[in-house]
Amino acid sequence: MSADAETHPAPRLYRWRMPANWWTRNRHYFLYVLREFTSLPLAIWLLWLLYDISETRLVQPTAFAVFSIVCLPFALYHSWTFLSLAGSIIHIKVLDRPVSPRLIVASQFALWIGGTLVIGLLLLWLAP
Amino acid sequence: MPDKRITIRATRYDPDKDQAPRLQSYDIPFYDESMVVLDALNYIKSNLDGSLSYRWSCRMGICGSCGMMVNGTPKLTCNAFLRDYWPRSITVQPLNNFPVIRDLVIDIEDFMHKLKSVKPWIIRKQEIPLGAGEHYQTNEMIDDFRQFSECINCMLCYAACPVYGLNNEFLGPAATALARRYNLDSRDQGLKERQPIVGDAEGIWECSFVGECSVVCPKGVDPAKAIQQTKLDTTMRFVLPYGNRD
Repeated sequence: MSADAETHPAPRLYRWRMPANWWTRNRHYFLYVLREFTSLPLAIWLLWLLYDISETRLVQPTAFAVFSIVCLPFALYHSWTFLSLAGSIIHIKVLDRPVSPRLIVASQFALWIGGTLVIGLLLLWLAP
Repeated sequence: MPDKRITIRATRYDPDKDQAPRLQSYDIPFYDESMVVLDALNYIKSNLDGSLSYRWSCRMGICGSCGMMVNGTPKLTCNAFLRDYWPRSITVQPLNNFPVIRDLVIDIEDFMHKLKSVKPWIIRKQEIPLGAGEHYQTNEMIDDFRQFSECINCMLCYAACPVYGLNNEFLGPAATALARRYNLDSRDQGLKERQPIVGDAEGIWECSFVGECSVVCPKGVDPAKAIQQTKLDTTMRFVLPYGNRD
């Protein structure tokens, strides 16, 4: 131990601990946790769908339909928040000028809506 | 007209006596509409309790020393006006997510270590001699990183970040924003030196985009944006054959 450490011992620090209810203390924290939570029902829905595909039939069609309706707002909320952040994430230039974040977000939503329509029409076309 | 008064509740913690921080109330005159929380603390220290400890320096939102939790929100106390809270009381606490040394003073060692680790300075592979002239930059080149260079290292973003609160191994918002500031600078060639720190599991990938760091930044820096853009750049550098450039 150095002479300095003997004469000046390190101060006793108070270690701050994150309270368990931290996510209830701020609206942004709550919405963030909600956004992360929406992944859970969506993952369950996807596993259910994969199971039904492996069985080549809907095992419990009514229950799956009800659960799908329950999951829809979660899916919409998750997609909405994810796509809204695209303007912050994607940083591209066209003709040496940065593309506006609003335009990037609008393009993401357009792709999302377009993709949904294409898949929807494809499913209708494939339906017996 | 009776003099206006306001109650300030400040954290007190004496490591030699207290097991945990506690709040102490001070009733002070609110004599000037331009008074800020830092003025209130200075009034307490000068007139009521000289033992109150806190950091401050410039009083004009430049030095980044006086960051504290003001009614639960990370703020520069030199920029938090009493008029925005009066007649409610104001609770002033040390910045969340950091160890407390005494009263409102936090231990900034962890942040200073992280800041240094990303080498927030211009790195050149080979220095150009002074006689060779300046490194020219256009306004567009400067615009690429300008907002990230506004960071004053006040650590409010760390106090607002629940990811850092839950795992203090996380590199954190300000250090990543400053790494990006230099990586985007056309004069800099240090990306590969910073990447092992920034691209580590405890670096950008630990961030789950809460976004509160950008909300509380007093200088309008958007660290969440810096982190997400760095994630995208790092991925592209990994995926694209030409991406692993110098």
